[in-house]
Amino acid sequence: MADAITAPDVVRAEASDSIESKLKRVPLVLNRRNFRWITDRISGVVEEPAPRWWWVTFAITSLTAAFGLFCLGYQISTGVGTWGLNHPVGWAWDITNFVFWIGIGHAGTLISAILFLLRQKWRTSINRAAEAMTLFAVICAAIFPGVHVGRVWMAWYLAPLPNNYGIWPNFRSPLLWDVFAVSTYFTVSVLFWYTGLIPDLATLRDRATSKIKKFFYGIFAVGWRGSNRHWRHYEMAYLLLAGISTPLVLSVHSVVSFDFATSILPTWHTTIFPPYFVAGAIFGGFAMVLTLLIPARAIYKLQDIITIQHIDKMAKIILLTGSFVAYAYAMEFFVAWYSGNHYERFAFANRVLGPYWWYWWVGMLFCNCLSPQLFWFRWCRRNIYVVYFVSMCVNAGMWFERFIIIVGGLHRDFLPSSWGMFYPTWVDIWTFIGTFGIFTSLFLLFIRYLPMIAMSEVKIVLPEADPHFQSAEQHHPVAAGGKERT
Amino acid sequence: MSERANVVPMPEGEFFEANRFAGKSALFGILALIGIVLSVVGGLVAPHQFAYSWLFGFAYFFTLLIGCFFWTIVHYAVDAEWTVVVRRQLENIASLLAVMAVFFIPVLLLRHHLYEWMNIPRGQEPLLDSKRLYLNMPFYLGRCVLYFVFFGAAAFLLRRFSVRQDRDGNPWWTLASRKLSFLSLPLFGLCLTFAAYDWLIGTDYRWFSTMWGVYIFAGAAGSSMSLLVLVITALRSAGYLRDVVTLEHYHIMGKWMLAFTVFWAYIGFGQYMLIWYANIPEETQYFIRRNVESWNVLNLLLVVGRFFVGFPLLLLRGPKKQPLKICVIAGWLLLMQMLDIYIIVLPALHGTGVHLSIWDFVPLLTIGATLAFLFLRVLGKASLFPNRDPRLIESLYLVN
Repeated sequence: MADAITAPDVVRAEASDSIESKLKRVPLVLNRRNFRWITDRISGVVEEPAPRWWWVTFAITSLTAAFGLFCLGYQISTGVGTWGLNHPVGWAWDITNFVFWIGIGHAGTLISAILFLLRQKWRTSINRAAEAMTLFAVICAAIFPGVHVGRVWMAWYLAPLPNNYGIWPNFRSPLLWDVFAVSTYFTVSVLFWYTGLIPDLATLRDRATSKIKKFFYGIFAVGWRGSNRHWRHYEMAYLLLAGISTPLVLSVHSVVSFDFATSILPTWHTTIFPPYFVAGAIFGGFAMVLTLLIPARAIYKLQDIITIQHIDKMAKIILLTGSFVAYAYAMEFFVAWYSGNHYERFAFANRVLGPYWWYWWVGMLFCNCLSPQLFWFRWCRRNIYVVYFVSMCVNAGMWFERFIIIVGGLHRDFLPSSWGMFYPTWVDIWTFIGTFGIFTSLFLLFIRYLPMIAMSEVKIVLPEADPHFQSAEQHHPVAAGGKERT
Repeated sequence: MSERANVVPMPEGEFFEANRFAGKSALFGILALIGIVLSVVGGLVAPHQFAYSWLFGFAYFFTLLIGCFFWTIVHYAVDAEWTVVVRRQLENIASLLAVMAVFFIPVLLLRHHLYEWMNIPRGQEPLLDSKRLYLNMPFYLGRCVLYFVFFGAAAFLLRRFSVRQDRDGNPWWTLASRKLSFLSLPLFGLCLTFAAYDWLIGTDYRWFSTMWGVYIFAGAAGSSMSLLVLVITALRSAGYLRDVVTLEHYHIMGKWMLAFTVFWAYIGFGQYMLIWYANIPEETQYFIRRNVESWNVLNLLLVVGRFFVGFPLLLLRGPKKQPLKICVIAGWLLLMQMLDIYIIVLPALHGTGVHLSIWDFVPLLTIGATLAFLFLRVLGKASLFPNRDPRLIESLYLVN
């Protein structure tokens, strides 16, 4: 009876099949799409006339942006009093919005630089749009510290420029470090983004049908011909920029966290702030990437390039960073209690039970800590609606978090007689909404005029790009193992 | 050594011949016995000094083992490929975590020398009384049991699953390990954090830092990768894993050493700078104690040695692809981790400056030799690499 197949054997065999299917690497580009299809589909977004929805959306967002700019103009011409700032709340929506946007500006460079160094090939489908989003978010962020100083025409004092007054910025101030950190980050991110764009700009130049387009894409493609030498220089430049960008991703939000943590204010001064802020930034940044790319992939039918696998992986990063953020929240509470410091203990109790209690319960606890926990489950990570829901929760939650750190830390200071509350004015609210207008308008312009997916990089991760590639059925082991992988 | 693998290894795996190394094993065994005898003497003759020395040795090896456990669970959680060929050694080292429970016994026996809070009765110190909900003996013991049960059981199971797969080749074990690793990740974070609180800064119940758990983690992860490099190189020089581990694997291990050298510096700097900047006495007391007299020299050596020496060397590609050079750097980083733990533990005893004692070396000998002895025994029990892992081929043909 040695050859008899028993029921348990069958069950085991079936189970084994499903296990093997779970372990199988799924290709990064689905449906065996070839180089040409990728070029046509992505260039097509730029080359075809703008669809009606684009014009309608752009009209709305640019009007919102314009109103936001009007609010900024009103605030600059009238004074910071147009915002709801008061004593003791000297920082409120302005700095909350600054930290919120600068945090969003983290995912792009993380995807481009850190995931590049970690050889995560799945990044190629999403890095271009994420990097563009990074730049636009940093632009929105830069508005707030610039105007919150009140006399914006004196903002040049932030730079260490020799001047007749002998006035120098305070180099010991983390606010000044911020100026350097953010401007360096923006500069390097622009360079990195632009370097990655060059081969794709050349593709657009070569396909351009009008002289104007050919001229402008040609100028920005800086003479790219795709020669071996060009590629060699390009890849070295890309690697070096990735290496330079990696510490910047970590340093920018660490420096932003120093704005708070170097103070002696309860809830602000805590040593875990640097990694906690960085994790929070990546967390919020990835949520925004998903917020933008999930509709974009549906509208432009890019599901074969931005696959469910990509969304799954981004959801995992949200789970990881969200859980670290939850750990940091927990450590803050634990150490506030463990320190035995009455002020710390009061401040954290106030966070949970004080007048801003619901910001903590809804924003920090539900949106940031609990909602990402859905991503422990595979079907949640692969369900677009669940992913979108969680992304929106995180977008909101991260704003709430910054608000409760800033206003929650300020509104009840050491002197109970000066306790107060913050109430935003219409200028506060519309300036913030205006930055969303600026952000989305810039993003819409980006997808209209530039390839939103890095065509050349996506092609590199196709199995056909491997020199050992033979045919779809007969892969060289290296090609099969090394290229059809995640 | 070839740059990349070009031969497929034997499907039945490679086995460590314990007989060949019986001499070394016996040597470690004898050293361990000598160490145990000396430890008993130390515990009786100079219990106060020995308590701190033992805690130093215990914490040093604990961070190394816990780091290997971390790399194992991360391997499964992210479904990595490159680690497959070196993973068995991570599992072997991490499986010794259960033994650390035995080495914790001296800490418990000498607890009154180490942890001031255990000696102060209720009602005497208001600050301490406000923390009694956490700092009380039953809860402390319960936590310690939890740490060892979790780390010991998870590390044991992960190795067992992996070894089982060597025999039956069933990919189910990979999925089971993945699930176990997912569960282990948050528990690892919490257990390591609170163990770092309980054991290391518990020596001064007044001090606190939210970054503490992350700081200990950063040192553990980087130094355990260094340990892995040394173990793999030792096995290769003994003639094992030659067709399996390539320079590409060394390159990646070197890159992780670099990453965690930077991460350690980042976390260490963040913690130090924020405390220095705010200048609050409750917080600065920890660093003031470690920045005075001869302690300052060691502190500077740690900063310069671990970061300013380690970083530029590891930044270069050359040393990462030359086993001899990367081993020298790995050995140096392990020394730096030892120095780090020394600076954490011993100033609690000698607040006025470095006071190197003979007893500081005994725990290193005892725990180190015992672990080495047990490691050689564990090594012979299974193949030196997971020979039927579903990702083995990808790991063999690794290209950076």
